[in-house]
Amino acid sequence: MSNEKRHRVSRRQFLTYTLTGVGGFMAAGMLSPMVRMALDPALEAGADSEFISIGISEDELTDEPQRVDFQVELEDGWYTSEQARSAWIYKEGDEIIALSPICTHLGCTVNWDSNENHPEQFYCPCHDGRFERDGTNIEGTPPTRPLDIYDVEVRDGAIYLGQINQRS
Amino acid sequence: MRWTQAHIKTYQQAREYVDTAIIPLIPLQWGKSEKQIITMGEFTGYLSESLEKQFTGRVFLLPSFTYLISENMEERVERLKAWDNHFYQEGFKYIIYVTSDADWKAAEKKLPDELLWMPASSPDSFEASQFKRLIEQQVEQIMPIFTAKWQSEPLSREN
Repeated sequence: MSNEKRHRVSRRQFLTYTLTGVGGFMAAGMLSPMVRMALDPALEAGADSEFISIGISEDELTDEPQRVDFQVELEDGWYTSEQARSAWIYKEGDEIIALSPICTHLGCTVNWDSNENHPEQFYCPCHDGRFERDGTNIEGTPPTRPLDIYDVEVRDGAIYLGQINQRS
Repeated sequence: MRWTQAHIKTYQQAREYVDTAIIPLIPLQWGKSEKQIITMGEFTGYLSESLEKQFTGRVFLLPSFTYLISENMEERVERLKAWDNHFYQEGFKYIIYVTSDADWKAAEKKLPDELLWMPASSPDSFEASQFKRLIEQQVEQIMPIFTAKWQSEPLSREN
């Protein structure tokens, strides 16, 4: 009799177990979206490094940088938008170099070989920033680091660009 | 740089490099030839945005200066001068007014700084990519106007 009684769950115990269980579910329900949100940027970064075709083939490239414009699809929550990107792309021996045209000083768009006084350089019309052919910033001009560089991949002769990397 | 919270932060850190403002001039009218009026405004908007993108480190794109077509030119010029003067005093030494409304051509001499008039093309009549290309070409042709302006002394204002 007393043995059986010990196995019995009292009203108080039953309520404690039930409430702990329900409370646990509620806490999990509240925390999991937060954890998901906190992890989201990390998951996004993976998606960002996808390579996209820029509509130009390897044999169209020369050792003279040429400007290529292309579209990147950006997903911001449920809203997808197209963003225009550009690259200055050329061949250095067997290697393909694709530089971002965004001046590392304040973000104007640089052009190749566009200033008479500074041929064979990337030139920023805003504050006379200049970069060498390989994107290295020229000492004495406002930019303090080289032009950013794209990851490049060749698939069946077509050029694909990946993420943009900062150099220092 | 644009009229947003994020860009004003950049501006505050780089204020000495930003000396040029773009003011788009956008006409309003309803009930009569509104399609044409909207085309002008839309084109001016695209063009101003592309210019801002090209020169983002030195140029601040201000909100549009809007006016009714029926507002007389003298009043418009006075209002625009007040805008111009305000931003000039605050350090924008070069101010460029962008528009597709040819009315401004007649008042060009009364304006304190540079008027950039471009005839409007409607995005309707092009494919999206062609239209983008068209705007880019316009920007390329306008670039020397900006660079030449920066080589010269800022125009002085009356007061």
